[in-house]
Amino acid sequence: MILEMDRVQIWGMKKYLEKVIPILHNFGKMQLDDIRNVPDAMVQPFSLTEEMQSEREEVDILIASINGLIELFSTLVKTEAQAPLTKDDDILGIKGKVADVTAQVQYLNNRKKTIQDELISLSKYNEMLNVIAPVMPQSSKKSGNASIRALVHTSQMRAMNMLAQQLKLMTRGKFEMISVRVGESTNAIIGIFPLEMISQVESFMKNEKVTQLILPEEYAYLSTDEAVQHIGKKVELDHQELDEIDARLERIAAQWLPRLRTWQLVCKDRVDEFEAYSKLGETEYTFTIFGWVPAENVEELRGIFASNFNKNVTVNVIDIPKELRETIPVATQNPDMVEPFENFVKMRAVPKYSDVDPGTLVAFFMPLFFGMMVGDVGYGIIMLVISLLVGKKVKAGLICDFLKALKWGALWSILFGVLYGEYFGTLGEVVGLKPIWFSRSDSANFTTLLIMALAVGVGHIVLGLLIGVWNSIVQKSRNHFLERGGTLVALAGLFLLGFSLIQKLPDGYYISGWIILAVGLVAMGVSMGGTGIIMGPIEFVGVIGNILSYLRIAALGLASVFLAKVANDMAGMVGSAIAGVVIALLIHSLNLVMGMLSPTIQSLRLQYVEFFRKFYEGGQSSFSPFKKRINVVFTPSNFKEMSKE
Amino acid sequence: MDVAIKALAAALAIGITALATALAQRAIGSAGVGAISEKPELIGSVIILIAIPETLVILGFAVAAIILLG
Repeated sequence: MILEMDRVQIWGMKKYLEKVIPILHNFGKMQLDDIRNVPDAMVQPFSLTEEMQSEREEVDILIASINGLIELFSTLVKTEAQAPLTKDDDILGIKGKVADVTAQVQYLNNRKKTIQDELISLSKYNEMLNVIAPVMPQSSKKSGNASIRALVHTSQMRAMNMLAQQLKLMTRGKFEMISVRVGESTNAIIGIFPLEMISQVESFMKNEKVTQLILPEEYAYLSTDEAVQHIGKKVELDHQELDEIDARLERIAAQWLPRLRTWQLVCKDRVDEFEAYSKLGETEYTFTIFGWVPAENVEELRGIFASNFNKNVTVNVIDIPKELRETIPVATQNPDMVEPFENFVKMRAVPKYSDVDPGTLVAFFMPLFFGMMVGDVGYGIIMLVISLLVGKKVKAGLICDFLKALKWGALWSILFGVLYGEYFGTLGEVVGLKPIWFSRSDSANFTTLLIMALAVGVGHIVLGLLIGVWNSIVQKSRNHFLERGGTLVALAGLFLLGFSLIQKLPDGYYISGWIILAVGLVAMGVSMGGTGIIMGPIEFVGVIGNILSYLRIAALGLASVFLAKVANDMAGMVGSAIAGVVIALLIHSLNLVMGMLSPTIQSLRLQYVEFFRKFYEGGQSSFSPFKKRINVVFTPSNFKEMSKE
Repeated sequence: MDVAIKALAAALAIGITALATALAQRAIGSAGVGAISEKPELIGSVIILIAIPETLVILGFAVAAIILLG
């Protein structure tokens, strides 16, 4: 059902505005119009004060910080939990806590980065030293000897050998050089020489621009073996610290992620309030708010304002100007079971304010068609179980709507399964279960199945046309009335003609059938203007096509029952009982999955294409009230007390 | 012989229209998925567009039924 909407104007002294906005926010049933788009508003748009602007900027920055933390923490812990709102969760409190958490995270991340960088360089040193250590000559361990280590590109090895010769001359033959390949194009050079010549050798190496492998200070004066040992220990400690940091980050994430989600909503609510301010109008001393409230909630809004502001802020229901009629927001209210089908309707288009809400009709016909197509007790029961079990885990979204629709479709499937006598296809026959109406697997009933599908099509299309005629009367649209009414009349003529041709009606109806058909086609043609003489009959052929389209109910049903029959027959043909059961299970599973998807899409299509086109226009905007994203911190009734405090 | 020709005609009626539907759905389906990834709210329109060519095979089914029953 589409709710009746009232256009509301709230007017009052500016000094009350800061209380009015939170109260409206908590009320949550008013859609605010932007004053710039209100044709009959004579006031200028509200300008945010500097204080408000700076608070808005702060909140935006806060949201950015919260988003960053949520993104980081979501990678560390898997939880969808959201903490309940507490008294301290105001913007100021949130800001302080977010800053604390950010500082902790930043410190840990910086420390982690430092350790990771250290580990990278230590692993490089370790790699080199591990290559060098085994080839270090005994002379390097002799007291009174010193050593240098250098990394040299292979192309420089010739020059390095020449340098070694010079160093040998300098040290009177006491310089010893060993080279080891440590990479594809890198050699490690180790030079051993008397300790007293260290300054000479080092300055020589420096002059010749040979880069020495210099270990960090704490390992610089250690022997290669000792350095390898110390670096190994340090790597182990670093890994331990990294694990501790990760564990600490996970603990922080688990502790704060649910609260950050709550704070994110609190901040977004605050931004919504700033957005609301920018939609208002103002004069020097007063403010004006225009918007939409469901008619049934207007008195509630008046009561809230009367109790909070006495007569200082007024709520008035005002006329809806002609130019705003097409923009009235549309709110629907239906029983819970209709809700998923309402979402399917909105997937097509939001209804127009003057439309008949098709949600309830779709809630009846979509599962009915689904049941007629699947029509199997066994499949119906499994689908019902799947929809109930999975439905407990999926709480929102398209899949949730699909599962809810599947539940009702499964119930209809069970009912039609009993009527068709189908229990996992033809298995029911084995235990003597007979159809109450007719068996789809019996070729003798093919005509009955087709007639059933076409009859359903005729009924559905005629219902759509009747609603269309009603809509055109409400909307005072002459063309729509002629088009839809003419189609109904032409259809009536066609049926009279058809039934008299197959001798189901007396011959007298033959002529009257032609006359009624012609009258209907003329009415359709008139509604289409100059091209009506051609377009009218073409449109009518389209309607016949729409009715034939319901044959898919029979086609999909036949495909389903024969696949199930194949599964049962193949199981019987296989020699081994186990292999037979496995084959039957596989084919039945395939049929079941197809049976859940295809009939859903086909029955949805019958609503969208065949049914809706007869009456449904849609395309208006949905009612989007100014309401809190999270449970309110205070309610209008306790707002007074809070403001006194 | 008559029965065989009827069966062949019915098979052709449904087979050729099924191929035509498949070709149309291939093009519409891939474009539709692309459109949904850009604008998820188009899912309703895309379902309609994908389902529209199925009328072809349904009409093929109707013709096949008429051939077999006629």
